[in-house]
Amino acid sequence: MKKLGMIAAFVAGFFVSANAHAACGSIKIAEMNWASAQLMANVDKIFLEKGYGCSVELVSGATMPTFTSMNEKGQPDVAPELWANAVRNPLKKAEDEGRLHSVNTAPITELGEGWWIPPQTAKKHPNLKTVLDILKHPELFPHPEDKSKGAFVGCPAGWGCQLVNANLFRAFDMKSKGWLLVDPGSAAGLDGSMAKAVERGQNWFGYYWSPTALIGKYNMVKVPFGVPFVGSKHWDGCIVKPEQDCANPKPSAWTKSAVYTVITDKLKKSSSAAANYLKSRVYPGKVMNGMLVYMQANQADGADAAAEFLKKHENIWKKWVPADVAAKIKG
Amino acid sequence: MDFLDEFPTMDRQELRELKKAIDLGFRNFSRAYGDALETFFEPLLYFMVWLEKLLIITPWPIIILVMGGLAWLGARSLLAVAGTVASFFVIGYFGMWEDTMATLAIISVATLICIVAGIPLGIWMAKSDRVQTVITPVLDVMQTIPSFVYLIPVVMLLGIGKVPGLLAVCIYAIPPIVRLTNLGIRLVDKEVLEAADAFGANYRQKLFDVQVPLALPNIFAGVNQTIMMSLAMVVIASMIGVRGLGVPVLRAISNQYLALGLMNGLAIVALAIIFDRISQNFGKRLQKHREGGHDV
Repeated sequence: MKKLGMIAAFVAGFFVSANAHAACGSIKIAEMNWASAQLMANVDKIFLEKGYGCSVELVSGATMPTFTSMNEKGQPDVAPELWANAVRNPLKKAEDEGRLHSVNTAPITELGEGWWIPPQTAKKHPNLKTVLDILKHPELFPHPEDKSKGAFVGCPAGWGCQLVNANLFRAFDMKSKGWLLVDPGSAAGLDGSMAKAVERGQNWFGYYWSPTALIGKYNMVKVPFGVPFVGSKHWDGCIVKPEQDCANPKPSAWTKSAVYTVITDKLKKSSSAAANYLKSRVYPGKVMNGMLVYMQANQADGADAAAEFLKKHENIWKKWVPADVAAKIKG
Repeated sequence: MDFLDEFPTMDRQELRELKKAIDLGFRNFSRAYGDALETFFEPLLYFMVWLEKLLIITPWPIIILVMGGLAWLGARSLLAVAGTVASFFVIGYFGMWEDTMATLAIISVATLICIVAGIPLGIWMAKSDRVQTVITPVLDVMQTIPSFVYLIPVVMLLGIGKVPGLLAVCIYAIPPIVRLTNLGIRLVDKEVLEAADAFGANYRQKLFDVQVPLALPNIFAGVNQTIMMSLAMVVIASMIGVRGLGVPVLRAISNQYLALGLMNGLAIVALAIIFDRISQNFGKRLQKHREGGHDV
């Protein structure tokens, strides 16, 4: 009997809450399997539930399965952090046909791949403003096995970015400028070489990407390349290819990583308020990296991190929503 | 009943604090002594860089000649020489020469260090039961702990490259030589030692003229195992930035290049077999000289 009573109470409660949330309806948000996307999904859940009266369910996902499901079935309704380069063509088609909408094309700022130096290096050598400046000073980044050369730490063997780094290494003519390309061998090797250098106050110059806990933890500085992006034709046709398929790589900045918040047409039509919120919520890259550090250090899941974010960064999320909604979130 | 159903675990917060404290402790250690350690290993690094450059710069016919000569000295069999020369030709023909030389360099240095450190340790263990009880579990840990676990502290201390790679290889490869040296010396007949005593041999004479020579077959089995295990670590060492045959294997793993992985993997196997046959036959020949000596 006790069980039956509980079910009845649950069902009753469900109807009540469904009525209360009639303004927005029920929304499914994809919670991707990496930290920053989990934080965003949980923050979105809080905002849409408390602020806009939606009833939100988080469904776990990954780039390809989630996108395929959204594209084919129209479920889930929201992908807060979709790395769009992996699904560029089908996403464009779905947008043209009006099935999906990229409501926010930069939910996290300063994100992407590139070449980084530790903060102490940037502070000590303020003249190193761009990659071109750094390339003139290989002596500041000595290679442990040949002190007369500078060490540039590229990507581990086998990663896609290894080809890009090797081609850019040739494009910037780094060999004749006194540099060696170091293969760190694995993700652990890359992380370790960067962590060791920063912990010891040594100079370090290499490849990494953001948002990541490591970039946030060490406040790494992304160095502008000092040259413009060469254009996607040369990038896709040469820079990302093996050396034999790219005889004359041209110097270029790293291609922009396209990270979008994508929603289904159904959600856009049924709740313009929710769509507007998703459009305006932008995480500054520094804040996101800081949250990732928090999640890693405390082994926090998305929900813990969302609570922490709301508590700590009110000045940021207050700007995402009208004042009355902000009051509801806080209350 | 809760107590029985659920294992009494440490509080999650406290556990986190403990882990953090360990990490912090290691970080402070690395900050305080990392540079000193790096300076300490610097001569070793220069030696390894020098050896690798030497092997790569030396014209290939000379290397093949030297390898064939070594095979002859070790094995005294034309088959071994022919096999060695043929393997190096195939390796060179498939464009793996430089990687093989880099691997050869780190394996030689690793084996050398393991022998220099391992044999005295094994002798010490054989001389004292207390030392044996202490060192045996340490060797067990070194052989069984997953290598990825100690790669993290090694990289934090020494960065990526040859020296940390060498350390990772040696941690895994040194136990067999220590164990087998210990075993070999302990297996020397009591009667032989008594005879040596009767002739008035002192400690040094007993050790170097009786025990070590009689233990040589076992010690060589240890050297052989050490070489094999250091070759097995080539791929792991490449994960922390050691050049050599492991790098293409890693590239093959992450891109599913079957042929690339197979070729470089087989090159490692070829090196292993060459080293194995040479060192094993050398050990056997040592044994042959002694046959009929103490065996009744």
